[in-house]
Amino acid sequence: MITLAAALLLSGCSGGSAAKGSSDSSLNGKNVSVVTPYLSSVTTKQMVDNIERDLKAEGINVNVVDTKGDFGELASRIEDIVSSKADAMIIVSADPGQVETQLKDAFDAGVPVFGVDSGFIEGMKVNATSDNYEMGKTICRYLFEDLMNKKGTVIALTYRPHPGVVKRCEAFDEMIKDYPDISLITEQQVDVPAGPIESSREIMENLILSNPEKDSVTAVFAAWDEPAIGASQALEAAGRDEVIVTGVDGNSQAVEMIEKGSNLKATLSQNFDGMTDIVVKDVIDLLSGKEIETGEKYAPATLVTKE
Amino acid sequence: MPTLLREKELKKNLGIEKLMRSYGTVIACIIIILVFSILRPDAFFTIKNLINITRQISLLVVIALGATLVMSVDEFDLSVGAVASLGGIISAKLAVAGVNPVLSIILPILISFFIGYLNGMIVTSFKVLSFITTLAMSTVLAGFTFWLSGGATVFENIPDSFKYLGSASILGIPLLTAIMLILCLLFRFILNHTPFGRRLYAIGGNVNASLVSGIDVVHNKNLAFALCGALSALTGVMLASRLGSAHPTGGDGYFMNSYAAVFLGRTVVKEGIPNVWGTFVGAAILGILANGLTIMQVPSYLQDVLTGVIIILAVIAQKVTSGENM
Repeated sequence: MITLAAALLLSGCSGGSAAKGSSDSSLNGKNVSVVTPYLSSVTTKQMVDNIERDLKAEGINVNVVDTKGDFGELASRIEDIVSSKADAMIIVSADPGQVETQLKDAFDAGVPVFGVDSGFIEGMKVNATSDNYEMGKTICRYLFEDLMNKKGTVIALTYRPHPGVVKRCEAFDEMIKDYPDISLITEQQVDVPAGPIESSREIMENLILSNPEKDSVTAVFAAWDEPAIGASQALEAAGRDEVIVTGVDGNSQAVEMIEKGSNLKATLSQNFDGMTDIVVKDVIDLLSGKEIETGEKYAPATLVTKE
Repeated sequence: MPTLLREKELKKNLGIEKLMRSYGTVIACIIIILVFSILRPDAFFTIKNLINITRQISLLVVIALGATLVMSVDEFDLSVGAVASLGGIISAKLAVAGVNPVLSIILPILISFFIGYLNGMIVTSFKVLSFITTLAMSTVLAGFTFWLSGGATVFENIPDSFKYLGSASILGIPLLTAIMLILCLLFRFILNHTPFGRRLYAIGGNVNASLVSGIDVVHNKNLAFALCGALSALTGVMLASRLGSAHPTGGDGYFMNSYAAVFLGRTVVKEGIPNVWGTFVGAAILGILANGLTIMQVPSYLQDVLTGVIIILAVIAQKVTSGENM
């Protein structure tokens, strides 16, 4: 009974979906596995859906594997994908450094590995992501020049253990040196495990108490959107409308706050569609036998303001 | 002659029923292997993939052995996943700090042995339900693990020596597989052939009768919990070494599957008691299904449905064939 059920289900659902409307017949029947530990994340799901849609349109069979935040299972499923002799593997929103051993097996077996918003290790073909350092520079330039008119005081809300965030912080460190009339009041590390919005709100409430005078704080540089939201909420509650806040990421709550008018004035929207476009094109080119340029590739971010 | 034929047929049917009762789950496991082997012989039925599967199930088997011990005394330990996460983080932190790799493996196991013993003491001394005690303990440990790790994955500056356990092979057999096999043999021997093992089964069978017959129920239960803690931490260490990184919730995923393996394993013997061989088969079924279904490119959500359905069917089948009242 058990086996019959298994066999029926297996025969009914294996092999992925059949290709339709292929633009290149050589791609028909090629198998690409997309693997992620975070399919429940809205952004990751959006990227996985894009990849699946675009590759299937080319006649490629796409298999999506989600390990629900479990990196041990992620390692096992990568091994299985290598065993299944997939034509390519795409890891989405997962640091390849954490499954390096298993990815090395994939490299040895000749399975091309691509990353989307993941990170890049030697042996991978491509990882498409945002240039965090460049994003840091862009938002700092907008904050320091357009919003602060090159003068005033700034508080930095950061979390340097995060590999992406630290690059934005390094850009902040470099940029502030070029503006002698802007001084840093303090840099505070957000307590991420405790909840970045709540933690940054508490930090900001305390900093408002220590800087009670109007205009004593000109701006808050938040290294990503969640602390920007928390800081903006604290400032709003304290009636400190004059303090400018900026974030990075372009998450929907931040964008909504910018649009409705709050202390949060600007964020940078990461181009997740642009990232999947880069990888889909490279996967198709590689499977079609074309040469591709390997390495980390960046999808440019866009500035989001009320205007 | 027709009577003789009927008798023969009856004997034959009884023989099949006995076979199914004794080896139904094992046969199901073999048939699952056959189905995958027929559908994808090039990828599934290979020595490389066999080694792959044994390495993949090794962590589940080790953590499920701990759950088997606790279930053999008719208790539950819901903190196995949290202990595994903690074990992984402690060992990775120690390795990054430059502590000797052997020590960074042994220390979290020792710590978790005492955490398990504490679980047992609370359960036995205060007569608190193990369900509640270990659930609360898992919350405490999760908090402690987050504090210890800062909520971040520990992977920078982990020395290669720490990764040895998770990546090395001896004569083509992964070290993780070898550890699993050794522990299976060891705990099978302990449970089936030592006074300690027999005491655990006696307590699980009838705690009052065990007390009357002079068995130190408190101490034996505490030891079962302690060994469960140690095996859970070992799983976390094996995971951290395999990945070359430790995630603060890395072991959590093993909690449900470890109990699924033990419950499947109970169906392997007609007495329906937790046992090492059964747990191994249970974990193997789960591991083979995950491996085979991925190779067959079955979508993740269908894999979950199929795995769950198979566990339910196996447990029902065991109840039916063992003739227990429904």
